[in-house]
Formats: sequence, C-alpha cells, structure tokens
Amino acid sequence: MRNLLSFALIGLALVLPAQAQQMAPGFPGDAAVDLGQEKKTLKPRVVPNSGRLEWMPAERDLTSWTTLSHLDQRDARRPQRVTLEEPLAGNPMRGRDIAMAKSRGNCVACHELPGDPWPGTVGNSLLNYQRRGMSDARVYQQIYDARIFNPQTVMPPYGTNNLLNEQELRDLVAYLQNLE
Amino acid sequence: MLNRTMLLTLLACPVWLLFAGQAALANEPYRELDRPRAYTPDVKGDARFSDTYRYWKDRSRLDPAMAGNPDEYWKLNWKFMDPPFNQAIHGGHFAMDHGETRFMSLNRTHSFARCLGAGKQGLKGLRAGYPRYVARLGRVAGLEEMIEHCAAKEGVVMQNGSYDNSAVALYIASHSNGMPIRIQVSKGPMRQAFERGRLLYHTRSGRQNFACASCHVHNTGKHLRGNNITTPFGDASHYPVYRTRYELQSLHLRMIECQLDTGAQPLLPGSRAYTDLEVFLTALSNGYPVAVPTERD
Repeated sequence: MRNLLSFALIGLALVLPAQAQQMAPGFPGDAAVDLGQEKKTLKPRVVPNSGRLEWMPAERDLTSWTTLSHLDQRDARRPQRVTLEEPLAGNPMRGRDIAMAKSRGNCVACHELPGDPWPGTVGNSLLNYQRRGMSDARVYQQIYDARIFNPQTVMPPYGTNNLLNEQELRDLVAYLQNLE
Repeated sequence: MLNRTMLLTLLACPVWLLFAGQAALANEPYRELDRPRAYTPDVKGDARFSDTYRYWKDRSRLDPAMAGNPDEYWKLNWKFMDPPFNQAIHGGHFAMDHGETRFMSLNRTHSFARCLGAGKQGLKGLRAGYPRYVARLGRVAGLEEMIEHCAAKEGVVMQNGSYDNSAVALYIASHSNGMPIRIQVSKGPMRQAFERGRLLYHTRSGRQNFACASCHVHNTGKHLRGNNITTPFGDASHYPVYRTRYELQSLHLRMIECQLDTGAQPLLPGSRAYTDLEVFLTALSNGYPVAVPTERD
C-alpha cells in the first residue's frame, strides 16, 4: 500500500511541474481549466440525471487575466499611458463593425451609437461624437486605457488588456471622430 | 515609515481597504477594487441601495403592470418569475421530483440528512441556514458542497454543480419554502467569509477589468443593451434555479456564467472565493423567503 502511494506521489510530481510550466507563475489551482486544451478555459455543462458535471472548452482562453481566486498571485495590469503616433490611419467603416460586434468592441452594450435600437445607458451617449472636438490622441487613450483619466471608470482598458489591437483601436477612433 | 504596531493594526483591520482604491500591500498581487462600500446583511438593506425592495418584498403582491413594463420590470428584481406570480410548470419541477428520488435513495439510513445537519425538524429550514461553518470540515460550506461531501460518504458521486446535486439541493430547499433566509455573519468564520465576499464583490478581474460591483452596485437600474441591471439584495433565495438556457443551475454555476459573460476566467464550483461570495450574497437575502422551484431566462 505504502509503495503504491509512493508511486502515485512520484507520478504526481512528474505530472504537476509539466503542467505548471504552461501557466504563468501564480496561476490559481482552483480555476476551471484544462491545460491540454488549446483554449484552456472551460465552461460547465449540466447533464440531466447525472451526478457528474461535464466541462467543455469555453469560447475564449481567459487564463491570461486575473481571476477572483484567493490563490491567484499574479498582478492585474496597471493603468497605461500611451502616445498615438500620427497620422491616425483608421478606417471608420471597420471601426463601426468593431463597435457593434458583441465579440469585439461591443461598445453598444454600454453606449448609444447611431443605428442600434437597444443602446446601453451605463456610459455616455456617443451620438454626434465629432461635436465634442476631442483630439484623436485623447480618444485613443480613452479607449486604450480610460483609467488614466478616471481611476474608477467601468470602461474596459481595451489596449492595456489586449482586447483590441492597435489598428482596431485606430479604426474605432476614426469611426467616433466621424460621427456627425 | 510605518512601525511594526501600526503595520499589524493595518493588517488586522480589513476596513482600511475601504479607503484605498487599490490593494497595495507589498506582498499582495496588484488588484483594483471598484469603490467598496458597507452593506447591511439583510434584504431590507436594499431600501438604502436600489430602493426597489418595496416592489418585490411580497412575492404574492407583485404589480402585474410593472412586470409588463419594459422601463419598470427590473424594479421587481425578476421575482415575477417566482411562484406564486409565475404558475408555470417548468424544468425546475421535474428536477425537484428527481431530487426527491435521489434524496430518498441516499437517505435510507438517515445518515445522509444527519450529515447535512438535519435535526428534529428534518429538512425543514435547512436551506435557510446555509452556507454555514462546518466544524468537521474546518470551513464554511454551502449546501451543494455539503451534498457532495455527504453523498460521497454514502458512496455516491454527486459533484458540486451536477444535475443530481442541484436537484437534491432543490428538493431540500423546497422544505424551506416561505421561510426567510437566516445566516449569521456577525462573528467568527462566517463574518470573515462575508467580509472576504464583500471585497471580492468589489474586486476587478478578467479581460474587461470588471468587478461584480461595477454593474450591480454602481450602475443598478441602467441599461446593458436590452437588460436592466438589478440589485444583489434578495437574489440568493431562489437557487438552484431552472435556467431555460442551461438546465439546472446552482449559485456557483451562476457565478461561472457571470464570469464567462464578462470575460473573466471562472473558478471551480465549491472554490473558496465562490463560497465567500455565496456567503455575502446570501446575507443580502437574510429575511427574504426561500421560493423554489423557480426559473429564469
């Protein structure tokens, strides 16, 4: 029995470090993940009349951002100040698609934008945004990381947290600055 | 420089976090808190929060006109989905029947119910007193965690969050129907769990850097597209719930769904963080009656 236990422990010791290497140090042990899966993050599936909970890959790998686990020792990403390199070179039409798409900008979840029948009201209305006369750099920073202007903002830091890439951010700025 | 005594005082007193926007202890990982506030651990605390409690205080006297009004329905805190307003037969009823069958087969020797903490009153009131501190586990546990634990002692796998587990929880909860939730968070491990849960509720996480509180405290009543954000008060009294999209759902599975929807890596059901949040949310339902089975979209 004791031998069996030793073998099991040695087995664990061989397996665990290999898994740990795949995750950043401090990643919590109570997160719903399968490190063998490409997207790692799992979502549960409740199977009727079963005592077991099934897990399947989630739509997105969410392991690189912090969790609510007490075991999570990684730092959250701090507010980041950026400089916009001119010219803007953004495409307003692409920007519109990004703003409306739930899986990308999803700006309409919180903001009012032209052409959306069910706008959110958590953030300000962005109708006629051009009339605000904001600089491109100011708008770029607002989307990249709005915490620079308001540490308590609820607006996600799209640049700092890698939700959108630089060109997508430029497209969004171009879209907003063209809303007459 | 802080001297040792001052530092110990600060560490011993989590209230200091109230005054700091960010958790900045040298050895702690960097976290941002979204404007923590104090909470009355009772459903009546909503009067000084969203002030909608008066509309959903009595489930048998909901205003049908409000339920049908797109600008007002959110003030009923979805209680129009609960009995007696909602008289529909739905998956929750079938789950409860299944839970009864599973419970009876587990409890042939009565040891299962005893393990869950049932006394002379049997299952009556059991759900209304969970989560609780379980001395033999040395930690605070929710009802679903205890069902998994006690079923295992009977040699049965009933994983936290599984259909069978939630079905048994639902059957047990049905014996508390109409009884107000009553958990004590004024001292000991339950107080600590409540306090951790309160801070977790305000802790930002995930790709969008949201805390639960970012929406459910600081933007209650506002629109997220077609949905209005509701109060966290009085929300823990109807779990496990039949979800028309997800079958049977325990409170911890609901948290997983919240996290996936907001782009945060979910934790496992029964994790300490989710249990702390469960204690916090359940305390905000103190005094509000259990009503099962019920459904949500």
